[in-house]
Amino acid sequence: MNAKSARAILVLSAIAMAMVISPAVVSYPTGIQGVKESGCNCHGATTSSDVVPSIAGLPDQYNYSETYEITVSFVGGPANPSNANQGGFNLWVSDGELSPADATVQSYGANEVSHTEAGNDQTSWTLTWVSPSSDRNVEFVLHTNSVNGNADGANGGSSGDMWNRLTAKVSPPVLVLEEADPFVVLSTLIVVSAILLAFTLAYVFYRTNPESFTWDYFAPWIADWLTTTDHKKVGTLYFVAGLFFLGVGGIMAMMIRIQLAVPGNDFLTQDQYNQFFTLHGTTMIFLAAMPLINGFANWMVPLQIGAPDLALPRLNAMSFWLQPVGALLIFTGVFSGSGADTGWTGYAPYVVSETAHMGTTMWVAGQIMLVASSTLTGINFLTTIAVMRAPGMGWLQMPLFTWSILIANLMLFLSIPAFGIGLIQVYLDRVIGTAFYDVSAGGDPLLWSHLFWYFGHPEVYVVIVPAFGVISEVIATSARRSIFGYRSMVYAMAGIGVVSFIVYGHHMFTSGMSPTLRFVTMLTTMLVAVPTGIKIFNWLKTMHGGSLVYRTHTLWTLGFLVTFTLGGISGMFFPSIAMDLHLHESYFVVAHFHYVLVGGTVFGFYAAIYYWFPKMSGRMMDERLGVLHFLVGFISYNALFWPMHRLGVWGMARRHHTYFVTTEEAMGALPIEATGWNMFISVAAFIFFFSNFIMVANMIKTLIRGEKAPPDPWGGWSFEWMTTSPPPTPSFDPHNLPILSDANEHVANEPGTLSKLFNRLMVSEEEAEEASH
Amino acid sequence: MISILVSVFTFSWLYHHSFWYRSEDADNYDNPDEIAVGVFPKHNDDMRLEVAWTIAPFILIVWLTYVSWVPLDAVWSEIGEDGYHGDECEDGEFSNNHLDNQGIVTSECYHVIEITGKQWVWQFDCLDLSTEICDTGSDNIEVYGTVPLLSLKTGETYLARMMSEDVTHAPWFLGLGVKEDVHYSPETTLWLPISENVDDQIILCTEYCGDAHSVMAGKLVVHQ
Ligand code: HEM
Ligand SMILES: [Cu+2]
Ligand SMILES: [Cu+2]
Repeated sequence: MNAKSARAILVLSAIAMAMVISPAVVSYPTGIQGVKESGCNCHGATTSSDVVPSIAGLPDQYNYSETYEITVSFVGGPANPSNANQGGFNLWVSDGELSPADATVQSYGANEVSHTEAGNDQTSWTLTWVSPSSDRNVEFVLHTNSVNGNADGANGGSSGDMWNRLTAKVSPPVLVLEEADPFVVLSTLIVVSAILLAFTLAYVFYRTNPESFTWDYFAPWIADWLTTTDHKKVGTLYFVAGLFFLGVGGIMAMMIRIQLAVPGNDFLTQDQYNQFFTLHGTTMIFLAAMPLINGFANWMVPLQIGAPDLALPRLNAMSFWLQPVGALLIFTGVFSGSGADTGWTGYAPYVVSETAHMGTTMWVAGQIMLVASSTLTGINFLTTIAVMRAPGMGWLQMPLFTWSILIANLMLFLSIPAFGIGLIQVYLDRVIGTAFYDVSAGGDPLLWSHLFWYFGHPEVYVVIVPAFGVISEVIATSARRSIFGYRSMVYAMAGIGVVSFIVYGHHMFTSGMSPTLRFVTMLTTMLVAVPTGIKIFNWLKTMHGGSLVYRTHTLWTLGFLVTFTLGGISGMFFPSIAMDLHLHESYFVVAHFHYVLVGGTVFGFYAAIYYWFPKMSGRMMDERLGVLHFLVGFISYNALFWPMHRLGVWGMARRHHTYFVTTEEAMGALPIEATGWNMFISVAAFIFFFSNFIMVANMIKTLIRGEKAPPDPWGGWSFEWMTTSPPPTPSFDPHNLPILSDANEHVANEPGTLSKLFNRLMVSEEEAEEASH
Repeated sequence: MISILVSVFTFSWLYHHSFWYRSEDADNYDNPDEIAVGVFPKHNDDMRLEVAWTIAPFILIVWLTYVSWVPLDAVWSEIGEDGYHGDECEDGEFSNNHLDNQGIVTSECYHVIEITGKQWVWQFDCLDLSTEICDTGSDNIEVYGTVPLLSLKTGETYLARMMSEDVTHAPWFLGLGVKEDVHYSPETTLWLPISENVDDQIILCTEYCGDAHSVMAGKLVVHQ
């Protein structure tokens, strides 16, 4: 043995000796309360298998109102009769009544007991339980801690202690149904929705041609969908996948809302809740919002710029097929009961710590696939828009939706590599034990925050900018004007794109940055409001002097304007008035980003659905159902998210599986009214969730017996309205592309100052050829 | 205030236009921008108006940022550098802080305490302050059960030096309305100016830290 390890052993044994000899006062010798969920975490972070708790004296099945004498005890851990103290316990029961049998046990109400000071130097305690007088599935949760009796100052002597948890179930005389496990509910719902989706598709297939409803026809039909590279079909795949996951994310939101409907609810346990909000966020952003956008981008960009297809159709199919695989990985954890529980932001070092669930690894792997998918999509759209515009269409003659997709993909393309790198580092940390984020090995968790938000903030705009594009198209067409300030619209979008890269620091206000940097971040964050304001004013001005035709998509657009303005204004509170410090990570934030994401992106794309569905399917949607969907959806949506601002100001924290109201004036916690509001929000959430099925029903009804749609039902000007509904494949004849003419010919011919500058910088092809001779 | 003005303005514009320019029949309309399929329509713009609603919000925003900077600066002020909380108190010295009408607290000096976060419990340490100025213990709150307690004195200002033993946490003093992340490293700090209008309050964790994140609570008690 070399000298070094000998010395180490010497030091360690000295420490061990010191621990044994050191004097004895013990942590909370007077009992522990309220640890049912948290565990005895002042005696160590997690459970320890060295300590084995047990409960004796419980029947398998109880008799009504009978008194049982119970003994709780434990073995193992540092407890030893020679210690000053040996340990304590906490027992919680869901029903019936617990009471102490002697002075070593004390009561904290009918369903909780703990040891007393006198009972702190033993490892077994007796108490009584009076069973309920009705049929209940009774659950016991026992915590025991085994202590070494040392005292080390501030912590009250908890170092080196260990604890563990035991749960037990007792059945009633007449068996009642067990409350379902939320995971089972979720998995069932997902599977059922997948089956329903399959049935719907089969039915739609049947209705398109009842005669050919046989396997011989079905096999090639389905094979065609699975292998297609046509931009319209891939677009439809994205669209269906996006709607499906909007539903799945919605189911998770509903379970979150059931849990939060009343204070102190136990529908979900804390670690289930953590997985649900993590997957809700991830699903909604990456598997619902992005695919919906991609669906329309796939469909409309080639049509709008007069191209036969995307530049790289096979790459496009690959981008899509990476998504379902990624989604499967992301969800794997849930099906095994330990899904990712890191929040969609996956902050380090938690994401690499041992306390994060196993499913996190799969979640990270799935996200890496999505990053690959987005990167390929970016390449594809940038190329297509750059080189495949129809003759006559200059950059500043592209429809605004195409512009928005261009800018969104550019932003995504520039930001997502950072996220990819971060994810790969996390993956390596979790799988092969590298130490990028392992704090105890000198890893830097702030690196993750930087990488994540460098991507995350632009990402928020990546999902909102395409909605801007949709709104611009819809509002101009509905008002039958051309959009007010086309050029300033383009510059504003580009401005948002640029600014969004330099503001991400606002997500890190509370993570200790230098004051100067804070000021700069605050200013740039506030500046995003300028281009956004320009857009809102331009939209409003577009309606001026027009003739507004009310259709469902017009309603959703006006709805978008209302909610987006409200969301923007509530967002202004963060950078200003020192409010961020209080509101950061509260329900105010939850309200704010749902106003932007749901009221912005989702509403924008609902408008897109009603606007473009006739083009995509060749059939007109039912306006009456559309208006009904709008009214129910819009009202319940506001009822759902507006009151959350209030809760945030009161102090309801985000990502907390439960909340407590108190009558104690001084505590700075939620007032009693919060209970009513939470219930109200949950009810509104259900109405909002179900209102979306009106739209789905509308789409199915339309597909089956909608009126045939003309090529240009709304009176738009861009190329997609030139083709038939639905368009042929290839969308435009490559040998006979459409040519865009311009009602402002005289203006378009004079190059602007900027293009003059560019022309001077560029070597034209002719010159280059001359030079080479 | 400004938000209300802006929203009233925007919304009345929206309502006015949505109804004023509404039309029932689509055909009876003169198409001022020559909209036709396959033709880029006539520009509909007004340089002066667009520049106006670029410049005006810009100025408004720079001004707003400037106005909100002062109170923020006080909350985030660096140790020692500026005049808000002076230097660390000597033994037996008091900070005697006072609140000005803008809500900014200034003090003669401050006391240093330590807050440590670990999964999933807070630890408070008064270091070598006398129990008159700072005390710790434990207490039961209605629903959070047994939680660690920090007792501070009215009129005194504290600087909490904060660390985490594992993942990132963030104590949120609900009544004071302040929070700051705590990391394994580097150390972060948080001002706790206990002016006369600060009451007893709950402390929660607001940086997601795993299973029992939502019940990682503490209690701040204010004594005279
Ligand atoms: C049916 C409608 C919806 C309801 C009722 C709902 C409800 C909620 C609630 C209550 C939370 C907070 C959970 C917590 O922090 O404790 C949350 C988080 C979140 N929601 Fe939604 N939501 C809905 C739709 C959406 C949509 C459509 C999107 C995005 C397009 C979205 C994106 C998010 C994100 C990103 C989070 C943050 C997750 C995290 O903290 O990691 N939600 N939602
Ligand atoms: Cu951001
Ligand atoms: Cu925490």
